[in-house]
Amino acid sequence: MSSLAHLLPLTVLLPITAGVLAPALFHRRGLACWWWALAAAILTFATTVTLWRQLQSGSTISYPLGGWPPPYGIELVFDGLAALMLVLCALSVLILLAARRYVEATVPSSRQSLFYALILINLGGMNGFVAAADLFNLFVFMEIFSISAYALVALARGPVAALAALKYLLVGAVSSLLVLLAVALLHAQTGSLNMSDVAGLLAQAEAPGASALALGCLVVGFLVKAAIFPLHFWLPDAHASAPSPVSALLSGLVVKMGIVGLVRTRILFAEAEIVPLLMLDNLLVWLGVIAILAGAVLAMVQRELKLMLAYSTVANMGYIALGIGLATPSAVSGALAHTVYHATIKTGLFLTAGSILLCTGLSRVDDLRGLGQRMPLTSGALVLGLLAATGIPPTAGFVGKWQIALGALQAGQAWVIGVILAGALLTLGWAIRVINSLFFRPPARARVITANEAPVSMLVPSVLLAVLAVSAGLGGAILLGLVEPLALAIVGADHDH
Amino acid sequence: MITELFDLRPVAAPLISALCAFGIMLLGHHAGWRIALSLAASVVKFAVVLSMLPGALEGNVYRFSAGEILPGLEFAFRVDALGLFFGLVSSTLWVLTTIYAIAYMRGSHSLRRFFGFFALCVSTTQAIAFAENLLTLFIFYELLTICTYPLVIHSGTLEARRAGRRYLIYTLSGGAAILAGMVMVYQATGSLSLSTPGLLHAGIDERALLTMFVLLIGGFGVKAALMPLHAWLPTAMVAPTPVSALLHAVAVVKAGSFGLMRVIYNIFGVELLDTLGYHQVLAAIAAITIIVASLVALRQDVLKRRLAWSTISQLSYIVLAACLLAPLAALAAVIHIANQAFAKITLFFVAGAIEKTTGKKRISELDGIGKTMPWTMAAFTVASLSFMGVPLLAGFITKWYLSVGALAAGAPVYVGVMMASAILNAAYWLPILYRAWVKPPESPNPPRREAENLLLWPTLACAAYVIVLGLGAQAPAMPFALAQSAVAFAFGLEVVSP
Amino acid sequence: MIAVPLPSLLPLLVVLLPLLGAVLLGVFGHQRRWLAPLALGTSGLTFGLVLVLVSTVRQGFQPEIALMQLAPPMRIVLGVDALGALFALTIAALFPLALAYALKSLADDAHLKRFLALVLAAQGLMLGVAFADNLLTLLAFYELFSLISYPLIVHDRTPKALAAGLKYIVYIIVGGVFILTGIIVVYALAGDLAFVPGGLLSADVARTPALLAWVCLMVGFGVKAALMPLHGWVADAHPAAPPPFSAILSGVMVAAGSFGILRVLFEIFGAQLLGQLGVMPWLATIAGISAVLAGALAIGEDEFKRRLAYSTISQMAYVALAIALLSELALVGALVHISHHAFIKAGLFFCAGLIVAVTGFKKVSEFDGLARRMPATAVMLTLLALAMIGVPPLSGFLSKWLLGVGLIEAGGLLPLGVLVIGTLLAAAYLWPVIFRIWLPREDVKRAESAWARQPTLMLIALAATAVLTVVLGLAATLPGGPLELARLAAAQLIGADG
Repeated sequence: MSSLAHLLPLTVLLPITAGVLAPALFHRRGLACWWWALAAAILTFATTVTLWRQLQSGSTISYPLGGWPPPYGIELVFDGLAALMLVLCALSVLILLAARRYVEATVPSSRQSLFYALILINLGGMNGFVAAADLFNLFVFMEIFSISAYALVALARGPVAALAALKYLLVGAVSSLLVLLAVALLHAQTGSLNMSDVAGLLAQAEAPGASALALGCLVVGFLVKAAIFPLHFWLPDAHASAPSPVSALLSGLVVKMGIVGLVRTRILFAEAEIVPLLMLDNLLVWLGVIAILAGAVLAMVQRELKLMLAYSTVANMGYIALGIGLATPSAVSGALAHTVYHATIKTGLFLTAGSILLCTGLSRVDDLRGLGQRMPLTSGALVLGLLAATGIPPTAGFVGKWQIALGALQAGQAWVIGVILAGALLTLGWAIRVINSLFFRPPARARVITANEAPVSMLVPSVLLAVLAVSAGLGGAILLGLVEPLALAIVGADHDH
Repeated sequence: MITELFDLRPVAAPLISALCAFGIMLLGHHAGWRIALSLAASVVKFAVVLSMLPGALEGNVYRFSAGEILPGLEFAFRVDALGLFFGLVSSTLWVLTTIYAIAYMRGSHSLRRFFGFFALCVSTTQAIAFAENLLTLFIFYELLTICTYPLVIHSGTLEARRAGRRYLIYTLSGGAAILAGMVMVYQATGSLSLSTPGLLHAGIDERALLTMFVLLIGGFGVKAALMPLHAWLPTAMVAPTPVSALLHAVAVVKAGSFGLMRVIYNIFGVELLDTLGYHQVLAAIAAITIIVASLVALRQDVLKRRLAWSTISQLSYIVLAACLLAPLAALAAVIHIANQAFAKITLFFVAGAIEKTTGKKRISELDGIGKTMPWTMAAFTVASLSFMGVPLLAGFITKWYLSVGALAAGAPVYVGVMMASAILNAAYWLPILYRAWVKPPESPNPPRREAENLLLWPTLACAAYVIVLGLGAQAPAMPFALAQSAVAFAFGLEVVSP
Repeated sequence: MIAVPLPSLLPLLVVLLPLLGAVLLGVFGHQRRWLAPLALGTSGLTFGLVLVLVSTVRQGFQPEIALMQLAPPMRIVLGVDALGALFALTIAALFPLALAYALKSLADDAHLKRFLALVLAAQGLMLGVAFADNLLTLLAFYELFSLISYPLIVHDRTPKALAAGLKYIVYIIVGGVFILTGIIVVYALAGDLAFVPGGLLSADVARTPALLAWVCLMVGFGVKAALMPLHGWVADAHPAAPPPFSAILSGVMVAAGSFGILRVLFEIFGAQLLGQLGVMPWLATIAGISAVLAGALAIGEDEFKRRLAYSTISQMAYVALAIALLSELALVGALVHISHHAFIKAGLFFCAGLIVAVTGFKKVSEFDGLARRMPATAVMLTLLALAMIGVPPLSGFLSKWLLGVGLIEAGGLLPLGVLVIGTLLAAAYLWPVIFRIWLPREDVKRAESAWARQPTLMLIALAATAVLTVVLGLAATLPGGPLELARLAAAQLIGADG
């Protein structure tokens, strides 16, 4: 174990510690707290990058906490999914960057430090969740990022936000309970909590019924977290009513944790032949298909920009679920790539929507007519992001769709391609409405006419993410190469024949 | 013998237009910059594309790869004979259209946007021409759709927005079909390269092959305005004239036809298609399109709409010719890319010049316009006669090879289609000429009011090109030999210089 | 550049010179004093060059020049053989006369310049038809001059002229389409389109396509040659066009159709193949019926120009009949008749134009006593009418004699009977004219009207045709004259395969 491996726990501890300290250190000093949070996030990012380079040169990094070897001790691993951690940190930095102006304008100064603290804790929780190698810690970190997320939603003012936060909290709590139940069941079955250990032991488990129940609980729990249709109902309200940086965080990153959970679950049960994984796959395919169509259609009937984006998240989570459910190397690697790409795209979109909301105070698409003339860069970024979301080649959204379609063919389910394309076209349906409003119609609201371009600190993340969203697809081969080992691990068991 | 050379020019050509677009977006507030950039870029690009011609005629193929974007799929450009031919047509016309557009659009709103996207469209068209594989082609095909959209709805009126929406629905659905077909091709062969005369082989499940054919042809058929996928084209004519001219006579629709040719010659290949026999159905559809669109064109009174329907009809010539799977007919398909482009753009230029100068849009208002705008109408006459297939003009060459090819392919019925189309063309062009030249104008002695020079000269240049193309092998920049080597490659023939 | 011997350039020069004249007229023609020298100068110079060509042909040299590739591998080739030289001679002699006539008869017309330029252009294109050395070249020039004739027919812009023009253009376009189809079939069968004495198509060619090509080509050229039942446009177009152009129409344009038929029958199909196909009796039957029927219809026409038009149909039918018999002697007769008829009929139309110009009379029933008002015209009219009927020693007699000899040698009594009946009919429809102008009925007072001034230039043109009629009749063996050329041509066309 190289000395660099000590950095692994740092990715979790650093943001959480910084977050816990923030309210104490910077009460009512929002700006200073912002600098603090930003610094912490950048440091975390730097740590991840270092780890990443280590991973590139060697094998998986694992770190037994306290020096206890697994399966008895607690272990953190930095494996294929860690690419995601890199994205988490990078996007968090950008979200923080954009958040300053927004927070100054909308959050009371007494609560500003709390806001930044929660974001940092959320980041730490997610990092931990990705890196956790044992089931219990998986649950613990899940709770950390979930609870900080509830609180962040609740930070927005207004009755809608409160209700949304409450809904989010209740649903989240139920899902957490389900996961906890599953953890308990698995522990009872195998006597271990370390995931690789459990995976091996499950094959000899005595009560397959209990294992199956655990699987069911885990799946439902993570499906809720990933907001896969029809368990998405909490998402649109929560994401739309939260402060925009929080929406970006939730829609871009937090929901992806559900996918991470699903992937972990699948690996966990890959070797246990008693459990019908095929059923899980089929379930994911069907849910994915429904989610794609329903999400896109629901997005189409929305009037508010952020609600559209939220429903688009539902649809995109459907793509990811579909990809994993198809269980061929191409499809799964596509799903994983889409996880990363969608995080980038959706974060950018919500940040841009936040800029618009902040600068004009308008949220309905019809009210935003003619904004392209007053805020060309912001509007342009939004358009680019929307194009990427529809998956027009060579944007980031295209790679996942391509790979999943390819996987569908490999799995002998060619009809899925039709769904994928229909979803893309439906997405375009509402995206065009937004684009038309912004650029090709005369202004209808005075506030549009008087609006000015967003401040630089918001503009930079928006434009950067938009450019990334449009051009990142060109690097598809690289990203797919990175996630390929993981994809093979996920499908490994049933792909041998 | 084909030699592959690594070269920067295949990527430089689209890049020049893209950079020009970028420059216009940045500096386009000033008319001077806009004009200077557009003109300079179009001329430079034309020079770059043209500089590849001598090498291409010697059998060189230029290639540039930017690396893989998806596993096994490169983002690469490759200039072969067919691509270069299309590239030459589009870059030549860009120069002319730019000049025309500068004059035509003077005084319009959002010119920065207009010229920026205009340049982007040309850039993507060029990239489509030079794409090495279907994925690269598809990427730019979709980008083309997106870039054209702002141009179609430039005026921002309700009508324009409706047309724009319809345009998007059609073309993007087509794009989706292409994507699906492309996935299947990739799955079946592990490649999407367009550098072979036939990527697919007979070993593949026939149902899958049929699905691929339907998806790919259906997808590209939208932009190629193959019936029944044509409905977007006539409505999209609300766009400003230079846009309809370049994009709907050249870039967009030709990208569709070009894609179809790529599918037929490079994805399926002549041999495979011949054994499968799908081409016969497609040929029949194309033939029906030719006739029906002409019949509809007969009834149009708005000049641009008649032009649009004529475009639909003419585009199917390319499809029909490509589907006959005979070398001579294939020659017609390749050459018609240029023939139709120059003749149709002349007509659009004239329609625009008339509208700009006199405000007249309808054919029924054109009585005696030949007296007021003789040069403009002379150009119109040349182009419309070309469509009728008068010898020594470009359209005749197409008709000739297509018919001869149809006979060679053992499908004499298409000779009949050609002839019927010639008569129909005469039936809808001659009345316009009759009104313009023979009918007396409303006022007895109207003053001569020619279109302004910047509108007139590109029009005349295009009309002159129609004649030059009609004289066969002599057309500079669009040589017959290039078309021949494209056909020879697709059919695996030795190139024989006539 | 390959050195081209000067005589080879001659055909090209002959074709280009009138076209150049047309352009010059377009540029300088707004000054009226330039009109006459330009028009007559180029036309006369062309005539001179044609004479030089005729002399080279007589010496057994056949100049030929291959120009650009029209549709590779097919080139535009201009060459001169005896047949072409004969036709060119007729054209080149008739056009200066028509131009001179037009200079006076249309002197008050605001669009004289346009008329003259178009006539000159038509002359160049028609000479191109005469010199075409392959079917594609022939088609190119043929179509172009057919189209350019349209503005000449509708020159007056009267409703009647416009209606006639519409009829003409519809016939011509449909005919053109048939020709194109036929040519394409020929190309598919033979892989070439060159005119080969004795027939391009080999004797063992597939029967059905060969038959199809024959039908298409006959229908196509038959439209122009006014073969019944394709003659519908003739009787309308002739009266509608200005008199000088009616002369051209009837004299050489209709003959161009016969010329096309000749080329196709003897140099594409060849006598042997035609014999195998067994189609010529059909053509002969149609021609025979056509000759008699048109003659009968002419009797019923009161309008002089219409009567003459039907006469043209009838006379051209003799030619077709003679051609259909595939005998050398009959062919000589046919060729001579084409040439002689051209001058006679042109002269008759000149008369008709003069009568209208001086008196305004269009109908034969109004001609009573015309001789007193216009004695010179009346004399010439009589002379020409007699020649038309075939009274010795005028040119009409000579050609009919030759025809008769050929017909009886090849086909026996039935064709000769047709000729005789046709001649009787000609007498029946022309004699009343002569009768009326010299011997008016008593009750017509107009007959006493005074001698009227007649435009000199028009009279000179008319006189020239009359003189030609006499000279050609008396001195038929003139070196380089129609008879000698016709014999040469017939020997080349039929003699080649015995």
